[in-house]
Formats: sequence, C-alpha cells, structure tokens
Amino acid sequence: MKVRVFALNAGLLLVGGIVVLPFFWMILSAFKSNSEILSFDQSFLPREWTLENFVSIQTKLDFFRLFFNSVFLSVTITALSVYTSLVGGFVFAKYTFRGRGALFAVILSTMMITWAVVIIPRYTIFRSIGLTDSYASIIIPAVISAFGIFMMRQSMDAIPDEILEAARIDGASEWFIFHRIVAPMSVNAISALSIFQFLWVWEDYLWPYLMISSEEKQVLAVGLTTFRGQYGTDYGGLFAATTLAIVPVLVVYILFQRRFIAGAASAALKG
Amino acid sequence: MTIQTSARSARQGETARVSQATRRIKKPASELWLRNTTVGVIMASLVLLLLIPIGIAFVGSFHDWNPLNGRFDFTGIDNYAELFADPTFWRASSNTLVFGILAIAGRVLLGLAIAYALFSKLSRWRTFFRTIFYLPTVMPLVAVAFLWTLMYNPQFGAINTLFGLDVNWLFDQRFSLLAIVIMTIWKDFGFAVILFLAGLYAIPEDVLEAASVDGASAWRTFWHIILPLLRPMLFFIVITSMIGYLQAFVQVLVMTNGGPGTSTQLISFMIYDQAFVKYNFGYASAIAFILLIITALLTAASWRMNQSALDAPRRRRFTHRSKEKTS
Repeated sequence: MKVRVFALNAGLLLVGGIVVLPFFWMILSAFKSNSEILSFDQSFLPREWTLENFVSIQTKLDFFRLFFNSVFLSVTITALSVYTSLVGGFVFAKYTFRGRGALFAVILSTMMITWAVVIIPRYTIFRSIGLTDSYASIIIPAVISAFGIFMMRQSMDAIPDEILEAARIDGASEWFIFHRIVAPMSVNAISALSIFQFLWVWEDYLWPYLMISSEEKQVLAVGLTTFRGQYGTDYGGLFAATTLAIVPVLVVYILFQRRFIAGAASAALKG
Repeated sequence: MTIQTSARSARQGETARVSQATRRIKKPASELWLRNTTVGVIMASLVLLLLIPIGIAFVGSFHDWNPLNGRFDFTGIDNYAELFADPTFWRASSNTLVFGILAIAGRVLLGLAIAYALFSKLSRWRTFFRTIFYLPTVMPLVAVAFLWTLMYNPQFGAINTLFGLDVNWLFDQRFSLLAIVIMTIWKDFGFAVILFLAGLYAIPEDVLEAASVDGASAWRTFWHIILPLLRPMLFFIVITSMIGYLQAFVQVLVMTNGGPGTSTQLISFMIYDQAFVKYNFGYASAIAFILLIITALLTAASWRMNQSALDAPRRRRFTHRSKEKTS
C-alpha cells in the first residue's frame, strides 16, 4: 500500500514538474545575460543575476507601455462585457417575451462561428469606416459576448422568481432589482467570466495586429512578435518579454485559482 | 414533516397566485425599456458584427478579392476549384488531421490518467496538483508559444539540454509538427483533467462500493464501470477539442510560420497566411467557409453529446440523493 501511494504521488509530482519547469526556466533565464544563455555550459540558475534584459527591452520597444496598454484594454473590455453579459443574462433568464427562445438559440449558435470567416469582412469594414488604429476598433467587437450572456443566463436561472416578485410588490424598479438583487447574487459567475474574459483579451493577437498600427498603442501580444522580428537574436530580451507577458496572469491565477477551476468546470458542464 | 410540506405548498400556491396577478397587470415601463434596449442592442450587434460579415465572406469567396489593389471581380467557383487542386490545402488538411488526432489523444489520455490518479484515495495534495495541472491552460497562448520556441532552441533550449538530445525541433521537417503537438498537449491537458475529475466526482459512491464489495479488481472497475460512466464526458472533450484544434493557428504562426516547407501548415494557419500575408481575401474566404461547415457539423454533434453528458450524471445524482432520503 505504502509503495503504491509513493509511486502514484511520485508520478503526479513528475508530471507537475514537467508542467512548471518551463515557467521556472523562463523566469530564471530572463535574469541571465545573453552570453550566459548561449554558453555551452548550461545551468538552471543564473550564474550572475542581471536586470539588463528588462532594461534592454524597455529601451528597444517600450515594453511597459505595451504592458499597460494590454492591462487597460483587458480591464476595460472585461468590465464592459461582463456588465452587458449580466444585463443580457438577466433579460433572457427573468423576462418572458415572444421570440426569446429563438433569439437565445441564435446567440448560442454564434459561438461556433470560426474567427476565420468573420475576420476578413470585419477587417474590411473597420478599415473602410476609418476605425483602425484606435482602441474603439478593439473594444467594439468585444463588448457583447455570446458566451458571457449564455453563462450569466445559466447562473441567473437558479435565482428564484419569487425574490424578484417580492421586490416588485415592494415597489422596486427593474433597474433596482437588477443592480441590487440579481447582480449581487451572481458573484461567482461574474468572477469566473471576468477571469476568462481578461485572459482572452490579454492573449488576443490577430485582431490588434490587424487594427493597431502605431507603436505607442500596440498591445503586448503583438509587441512580442515585433520584438522578435527586429531583435531575433536577443534571446535574453525574448525571455524577459515573454516573462512580462506571462507572470501577471500567473499571479492572478494563483490568487484566484479556486474560482478559475470552478469556472472552467461550470462553463463546460452547464452547456 | 407533513405540516411543513403542506405549509410549503400553501406558500407556493400563494406566490403562484401573486405571480399570476402581476403577470396579468401590464408590464412596468422600466421592464419594457430594459428588455427592449437589451434585445435591440444584441440584435444590432449580431447583424452588424456577425451576419453582415458572414454574408460578405460568402459573396467574397466567389470573387477575386484583393484589398491592396481594390480588386473585387466575380470568378464563380474558381476559388473553390483552385482550392481542391491546391497541394498546400491537402497538405494542410492532412497536417490538421494528424495534429488533431495526436493532440486529442494526448490530451484525453494524459487528462484521464491524471484525473483518475487525483480521484484515487491514494493521492495527496489534490488541490495543489489540480492547480498546477490547470496552470498552462490559463496562460496566454502567444506567450506560451514564444516560451516553447525558446524551449526547442537547438543551442540552449531546455528540451535538448534536459534529455541530452541534439534535435533541431522546429526546423526539421520530421519533428516540426510533433513539436507543435507536444506543446499543445502540454498547454491543454489540464482542462481535460478538470473535466474528467468533475465527471468522476459525479459517479455515485455506492456504485464504486458495490464493485469493491463484489471483489472487482481496480483495473476491472476502471474498465467496466468508470469508463462507461465517463463516456459522455469523453465524447464532449473529444469534440470540443476537435473544434478548437481546427481553429488553431497561433502556435504555428509563432513557432514555425508553417514551415519548414509546408510541414506545419494547418488549415487555419493557411487562412491567416492567404488573407493577411498574401492578401488573397477571396481565396481565404473560400477556405474559411469550408472550415465553417466542418465546424458547424462538429458543433451540432457536440451539443447533442453534451446534452447526454449532462443528463446522465444528473439523473444518477438525483436517484442517488433520493435513495439517501428514503433510507
């Protein structure tokens, strides 16, 4: 029995090691100098800790600017789309009206539309109305999320109608019922959706790449490829830039890991 | 007990009456306003951001369409005909198939094995491990692809150093697609772990107890009891993975750019390449439509699977609970 316990946990530990090793390797390599990275004698820990990679990516491409652009866009889009998802979920869960089922089915079916079909016409439209190189072009297509509306409706379905009716009898307006009663009862769904939404904006590459042309407005995901295109052999810089794109998400994940995991299971199970 | 239930049913009757009454009254203006605005905004965004673009893409797929020189000439089914004669398309299709099969197999097998190990009473630090395994899934894909490009570097990459190999993973036709598959499995298996775990915890304990009382071996229990009960979840993971991997292109874009040669061309990467590198919008739209049809068929199948994946454990859990009450 003891042997089996040991073998099983050792196996889990091994796979766990394979999962976290690249992250540790990346973070540690970001503190190595380029000559040390390329030396024949590889070591896991830096022999000489240095911040020169972070300084160099900052002077070469203003990475902190890109970083804060990504933070700004991720936070803005997350806030907006979670709010619209809440409203949409509320209307679909708690109001009855003609065509509700059909419209909801249409919203659900849009989730299977591949990015590839929509992105070419969207690009053409956004260019022709002159929306390129503005954050509006990134924010507008992301404000209403089919997945978000779907997730919120699923969660609000569980709130008993009696609570709403009682509030209505007490003279509460729909505005009040939504903001003060239904929204606070959906905290778990809100946090799960916020986390996913934040990540999707943070890692989105193609759309900002197509829309944003000026360097000072660019986002981190695109900045990474730009950096490699210009300084392909600055491996220390690449390690530092990649670290900068991953570590914030890593920290957020570790802080909220329970909600992340619950959100993942519920998002899939509630389909 | 009976008093309680009768009281509850009385209360229910009351609220039913009240809700009937409120429903008969005209809906308050604030409700109508909120409802109409919301539905209006959702419909407008559906039409403007999805329906019209899909229509344009469909029409565009029958045109020679290049935004750089403003060409938009009707060519009938030429794009589709050219596509089926294009060796790169067939290479991309077979690559997508190989990539999909290997990545799904790895994701499912590793996910199932680890979920079962975590489910076992022998495992320790379950929350810790679950957190670790799910970690790559929530990391940004572009950055992870960069990280793995560095991992595969033949000069200093951790993989060659660690395993004492001398392989130029991303620049050797024999290994490039495999390298992308490995990175994708590493990134995605944690999601399967979480889903399989949820499926395992939905299996009622008395079923497993009954098996152990009957003296079934661990292997037989797994093969004849647990696996059949997990089947709906398994189908769900396989089909959602298929849809996801049909759309995968970021790892190819970052790590190999489709090369060396056409060894890592995937269908979605080919669309990106035709559209935004070569600016053949019409041709790219034709490929995109074919992909959309495949995805739609798979999605329809997945929803059906998902429905049964949901119904099965729910029904089981329900009967389980009702049994508890009677005993």
